[in-house]
Amino acid sequence: MSFRLNNMADVEAGLFFTLFGGLTAGLSLQYQMGTIAAMGPGMFPLILGVILTILGLVILAKGVMAGGERTRSLPPRVVLLITLSLMAFAVLVLSVGLVAAVPAQVFIALWASDHFTLKRAIALSIGLLLFCCLVFIYFLGIAVPMIAV
Amino acid sequence: MDFLNNLGLGFEAALSLNNLTFCFIGVLVGTAIGILPGLGPLATIAMLLPLTYSLEPVTGLIMISGIYYGAQYGGSTTAILVNLPGESSSVVSCLDGHQMARKGRAGAALAIAALGSFFAGTIATMLIAAFSPILAEVAFLFGPVEYFAMMVLGLTAATLLAHGSFIKGVAMVLTGLILGLVGADVNSGTYRFTFGSFSLTEGIEFVAVAMGLFAFTDIVTNIRGDQAREVTTPSLRNLWLNRREATEAAFPVIRGTAIGSVLGLLPGGGAMISSFASYAIEKRLAKRPQEFGHGAIAGLAGPEAANNAGAQTSFIPMLTLGIPSNGVMALMIGALMVHNIAPGPYVMVSNPEVFWGLIASMWIGNAMLVILNLPLIPLWVRLIQVHYWILYPIILTVCCVGLFSIENSLLPIYFAAGFTLVGCLFWRFRAEAAPLLLGFILGPLMEEHFRRALLLSNGDLAIFYQSPLSIVMLSIAAVMCLVIVLPQIRRGRSVAFTEDA
Repeated sequence: MSFRLNNMADVEAGLFFTLFGGLTAGLSLQYQMGTIAAMGPGMFPLILGVILTILGLVILAKGVMAGGERTRSLPPRVVLLITLSLMAFAVLVLSVGLVAAVPAQVFIALWASDHFTLKRAIALSIGLLLFCCLVFIYFLGIAVPMIAV
Repeated sequence: MDFLNNLGLGFEAALSLNNLTFCFIGVLVGTAIGILPGLGPLATIAMLLPLTYSLEPVTGLIMISGIYYGAQYGGSTTAILVNLPGESSSVVSCLDGHQMARKGRAGAALAIAALGSFFAGTIATMLIAAFSPILAEVAFLFGPVEYFAMMVLGLTAATLLAHGSFIKGVAMVLTGLILGLVGADVNSGTYRFTFGSFSLTEGIEFVAVAMGLFAFTDIVTNIRGDQAREVTTPSLRNLWLNRREATEAAFPVIRGTAIGSVLGLLPGGGAMISSFASYAIEKRLAKRPQEFGHGAIAGLAGPEAANNAGAQTSFIPMLTLGIPSNGVMALMIGALMVHNIAPGPYVMVSNPEVFWGLIASMWIGNAMLVILNLPLIPLWVRLIQVHYWILYPIILTVCCVGLFSIENSLLPIYFAAGFTLVGCLFWRFRAEAAPLLLGFILGPLMEEHFRRALLLSNGDLAIFYQSPLSIVMLSIAAVMCLVIVLPQIRRGRSVAFTEDA
C-alpha cells in the first residue's frame, strides 16, 4: 500500500494542507475568540484553519482512493543550492559587502547548473558587480554597501 | 465631456518627461524579459517591484504596467521566432505564428502581432477610461457584506479559471489568506502568528512571497532545461504585410479585441484565457480551417489581439473594486498599498492623476511598443539566444538587492529563501501558486469586511443573504463550485489546458 502512495501529488498536497490548516487552527486558539458579533483576533484564523484542514483531508482522501497525478521530481541539489545562494548573499552583504556577496551567490547558484565552469563564474561575478555598482548604487542610490566596514 | 477632461488630465500626467522616461524603461525591460523564455511577467514584476518603491506612485505604476504589457509583446516575439512561448499567454501564438515564420513570413507575423496588439490596446484603453467610472459608481454602493461576497466570488472564479486542480487551488487561496493575516490585527492590535518577532508585526513582505514562489521557484525548475535554441532570423526586408495578409488579419483582430476585452474583465481571466478563446473562435469561423496550425493568419492575429486586450481590461476590476483578477494584478495592488493608496473606487477621487495617468500611459506605452519592437527585432533575436546559465545568476542578484532595498533589511531575503523551498514543494505536488498570492493580498481586507458585516448584523449570519447583490454573487460562486465537481466540465477543462502543456 505504502508503495503505491509514494510520490502521489494529491497525497502529499493533502498532507501539507491538513498540517498547515491544523497548525493555524491550533495557534489561533491562543488569541481571543470573541463572539460572532464582535469577533476577537482568533476567530477568523480559526475558521480558515478549520476549513483548510477539512479541504486537506478531502484532497488526501481523493489521492489515496483515486490515485491521480504523480509528483514532479526536482533535483534536491538544485533546490538546496539556489536557496543557499540566497542565504549566502544575505549573510555576506552587510558583514563584508557586495564584493563578497555577489561572487558567493554567483558561484553557489551556478554550481547548480550543468554549465558550471570557473571561468564563467568569475566573468559573471565581475560583470554583475560592475552592474550593481553602476545601476543600484550610483543610479538608483540604494544603500547597499560595496565594501562594508 | 467628463470623459475627455479625465483623459486630458491623464495625458498631462503621463506626458511629463519623467513619466515618459519610466514608461519607456518599463516597456523596454518588459519586452526584453518577455522575450526571454522561462521568465514570465509575474516573476519579472516581482523582481523589479522594489526598485519602483522610491518613485512617485504614478510613475512607479506606469513603469510596472509597462513591464506587464511589454512582456505580452515580447512573449509573442519568442513564440513566433523560436516556437517557445515566452510566457503562458503566447502559447497559442506558437501554433500559427511559428509556422508563418518557417514559411519565410516571420517579418509579417511579427508585424501582425505588433499591429494587432496595438489596435487591441487602443480599444481596451478607451474601454477602461469609459467604464471604470461607471463601475466605481456601483462600487460606492457596496457595504462590507457586498465586499465580502465579491471577494468570495472573485477568488472562486480566479481559482476556477486558473490552471490545475480546483480543490487544490481553493486550498492555496486559504493558505494565502492565512499567511496574509500574519501581523497586527486591525481591530484589536493583537500581534498574530508573529512568534514574538517584532519584524513580523507589519506582516510578511509580499514581494518576498512573490519572488520566492515565482521568480526563484521558476529558476529551480528551469535550470535543467538549459540548452541552445534554434532561431529563425527574419530578414527586415520582409517586415511589411502584403495586401492579402492585411485584409485577412483585419476581422480576426477586431473579434479578438472584443473577446479579450470581455474575458479580461472576469476574475481569473486576462491574457491567457482570451487567447485560447479567440483561437477556438477563429478556427470555427474560418473558411479554410485546415490551414490552422500551418500558418493561418487569422490564427495569429486573433489571439494576439485578444491577449493584449485581456491584459489591459483586467486592470478594470483592480482599479475600480480593488479586486485582483490574476497574479499580476495582485502585485499591482501590493504596489498601490506600498504608496499608501487603498485600491478601490476611491482611487479615482482621491488620486485622479494616478488613475488617469496610468490609463493614458497604457496607450502611450502601446504606441512605444510598436515603434520600438519592429526596428529592434535583430536585437531581440540575439537576446533569445542568451543562455539560461547567464540569466539566472543575474536574476538572483537583482532580486536580492531589490529585497534588501525595500526597507534596508535582510529579513525579506531570508523569507524569500524560505518561500523558494515552499514554492518547490508546491511545484512538486502540482499546486498552482498564483491563487495563494491573490489570497495573501486579500486576506486582511476579507477579514475586515467579514467582521464588520457581522458587527452590523449583531452576529446574525443571515445578513449575507439579505442583500440582493450579495445573494447573486454568493450564488454564482456556489454554482461554480458545484459545477466544477461535475465530471464532464472537469474533462473539458483539462482538454483546454493540455494544449499548452
